[in-house]
Amino acid sequence: MSRGTKAAALKPQTRKMTFWQKVYKYRVLLLMCLPAILFFLAFSYAPMPGIYVAFVKYNYRDGIFGSKFVGLRNFEFLFTSGKLLELTRNTILYNLAFIILGNVLAIFVAILLNEIRCKWFKKVSQTMMFLPYFISQVLVGVLVYNLLNYDYGFVNSILVNLGLERWGPYSDASVWPVLLVIIHLWQQTGYNSVVYFAAIMGIDAEIIEAARVDGANGWQKIRYIILPGLKPTFVILLLFALGGIVKGNFGLFYNVVGKNPLLYPTTDIIETYVYRACMTDFNFATASAVGLYQSVIGFCTVMVCNFIVKKIDPDYSLF
Amino acid sequence: MKKKMLAALLAATMVAGLTACGSSETGGKSGGDLKVDTSEHVKITYMTTGGKPTNGATEEMLAELNKILTEKVNAELEIYYIDWTDYLSVYNLTLAQMDGTVDLVGTASDWLDAWPNAKNGAFLELSEDMLKTYAPKTWESVSPEHWELCKYNGEIYLMPEDNYAQWTNHGFAYRLDWAKEAGLADGVKSWEDLTTYFRYVKETYPDVIPWDSDGTQYGQMVGGWVTSHSNYVAIDGLNAGAMWGGTKDDLYTVYSPYVTDTDSLVEFAKMMKEWDEIGVWKTDVLNNTASDNREDYKIGRVAAEQHHTQTWTDLCSHKAGYTIYDDDPDAETGFFYFGEETGNVVALSITHGAMAVSAASKNPERALMVYDLLRNDPDCYKLINYGIKGKQWDTDESGMRIQPASYNKDTDSITTNYWWGRNDDLEIKDATMNWDAIDKMYAEYDKIKIDYPYGQFVPEVDNIQAKINNISEIHTNYMKQIAFGKYQGTAEEIVAEYQNALKAAGIDEVTAELQKQFDALYK
Repeated sequence: MSRGTKAAALKPQTRKMTFWQKVYKYRVLLLMCLPAILFFLAFSYAPMPGIYVAFVKYNYRDGIFGSKFVGLRNFEFLFTSGKLLELTRNTILYNLAFIILGNVLAIFVAILLNEIRCKWFKKVSQTMMFLPYFISQVLVGVLVYNLLNYDYGFVNSILVNLGLERWGPYSDASVWPVLLVIIHLWQQTGYNSVVYFAAIMGIDAEIIEAARVDGANGWQKIRYIILPGLKPTFVILLLFALGGIVKGNFGLFYNVVGKNPLLYPTTDIIETYVYRACMTDFNFATASAVGLYQSVIGFCTVMVCNFIVKKIDPDYSLF
Repeated sequence: MKKKMLAALLAATMVAGLTACGSSETGGKSGGDLKVDTSEHVKITYMTTGGKPTNGATEEMLAELNKILTEKVNAELEIYYIDWTDYLSVYNLTLAQMDGTVDLVGTASDWLDAWPNAKNGAFLELSEDMLKTYAPKTWESVSPEHWELCKYNGEIYLMPEDNYAQWTNHGFAYRLDWAKEAGLADGVKSWEDLTTYFRYVKETYPDVIPWDSDGTQYGQMVGGWVTSHSNYVAIDGLNAGAMWGGTKDDLYTVYSPYVTDTDSLVEFAKMMKEWDEIGVWKTDVLNNTASDNREDYKIGRVAAEQHHTQTWTDLCSHKAGYTIYDDDPDAETGFFYFGEETGNVVALSITHGAMAVSAASKNPERALMVYDLLRNDPDCYKLINYGIKGKQWDTDESGMRIQPASYNKDTDSITTNYWWGRNDDLEIKDATMNWDAIDKMYAEYDKIKIDYPYGQFVPEVDNIQAKINNISEIHTNYMKQIAFGKYQGTAEEIVAEYQNALKAAGIDEVTAELQKQFDALYK
């Protein structure tokens, strides 16, 4: 790298380089990118022609491209179910809550961690918050069931012993938006806060030093230095997250809510519906059609959001 | 601009999480020249549902079996297990791989998607010449009418288990002695009797959960209710709810009782609400994944098990570990079968168990030869079904099958789940079974049963699949609430809502389409 940059610095640029000249010039940088490039080529670009499976009646023996083309028939089931709106709404609202509350809480926790002076307490609390991230969703489902079930649940045992009425969340759809958000935050906050904590660490210590000399108190330091410093990280994470806004967290919903139709009005997301409707007769083509639908919407969301961000402040946009 | 395009592509990559895999391998093999060539030693893999055993006894049995197979057809057998967790998905996915992992495939037209897989090209067409050459005994033992029932588009895909008496019509196994205590002198004979029984159990035995359901039997329950209150005969293999069929008096007019029998459904909803209020199941039954009702029945923690006759034959027998019979010498297990009130019982379809050959099999000829031996050779048959004589089983003076004294369930039991070619000619009756009760039940069935009438009907569902998917989903969602009494509002309201949803999803069009296909086949 050093030789390349030196050469470029010595010889001022007079004409535009061709693509291959650039490749040669930045070869070391490109080499460093190679694993990532290969990863995306292998797992994202190479399977792309397979999207075609969403438009055929898939037959094992004829393969994806040999099967009969059926146009948009595989999408039909999604639209005729009459549930598409409800499902998309649930999926998007949950994701919005997860993204917004998740990031806000993560920033809050990161700042708190940053302010803690006692080193061992900082480490211990960080680790403890991080741990739920590693619990499998299946176990989370079991934990929640054992906490909340009507007959033998932990919460209900306490309520009964206190002489209160039993509480039956498994037959009450209205409480689940809150419960699921709490469960999600419990699992993810520790992990997300690490990213923000790292970003805080990256803020130039001199600025903070200077502010202190100028007499800024703790609150002002957070308000005028740390929060603005976190803005780029926040915007980038937000844009990334928005791309997946129509992709639900299947593991969480499937394991915690299970197959209880009483709760579907508020907890059914695209993934869980498709799983129930397509897994029983194992229809690759329909499932891929749904995947394509989600990807297209996700793509549009990213493009639109990026456009808006760019209008407001080009520095924060992804591209 | 170029940069923008690149960036846009990148963004697309991030969001495109399409699962588009699959190879276009073609496994099409025609009959070839029909010569028996066993010069090369090959391994034949047989795929079955069930958990993989870990005690080593099955491998020991296979070693014995493979000695015979090697000698006779120069092949050895291996078993590929599809665990019960999400078995249908894993089963179909394994078939979809088409990489020659499996050769022989245990399948079923009613519970294992045999026809969809045949249509998807997962199974090899078995020509008559192939069957005659490589599986001659099987070819002869199955009648031409039965081969007809294994055809799709004129090609044979399945080898049926058509010479094995079993009944898989559903019902409730219950404690006959407790039912008598409850005042039901003849045992449970109707759904109303079940209510009486459950109420009695709940009041008299507070430690017993009448039926610790896990919330998955909604389809069996409402199906059983319909069978018990009409002459409905369902068509297998359309959807899990078996929501279309004819009546015993008019077999070839398709209808769906879920649309027409409104009053009956309302009554069902009311009774299930009553059951829920009695406390037949746990309050959170729809989220109850931790129950093991059948095992609990054997040790007296629950008072009923909803499953089929075959399961009951097991539960009513005093086997080792079935402590209800040890603890209480009066204990008896009765069976209330769905359709008992109206005498509406349909015999099992012969493709309830069948063997197919994977289209990707590298040695389909040898696979057929191995199957022919497993099904018809007494030594092979006993090994794969019962295990090694003297270790897993033995015979008593009367020639019945018993467990040797040295038999230890944990270390000696084998798992082959060979349900795709059992053969009554070679079966040895199990001495531990309660044959008095079982034979009586079978005789009762034989008097009233009709044969499954739609064996030859393989529906073409491509044009109505989207509707069927949505109908199944609606059925599941509403029936879970109705069959476990968890609905809000009145029974009339929930049934009306359910039927409106079915109509909106196009159930009438599906019925009409099926009628069209029926007319083409049966008229």
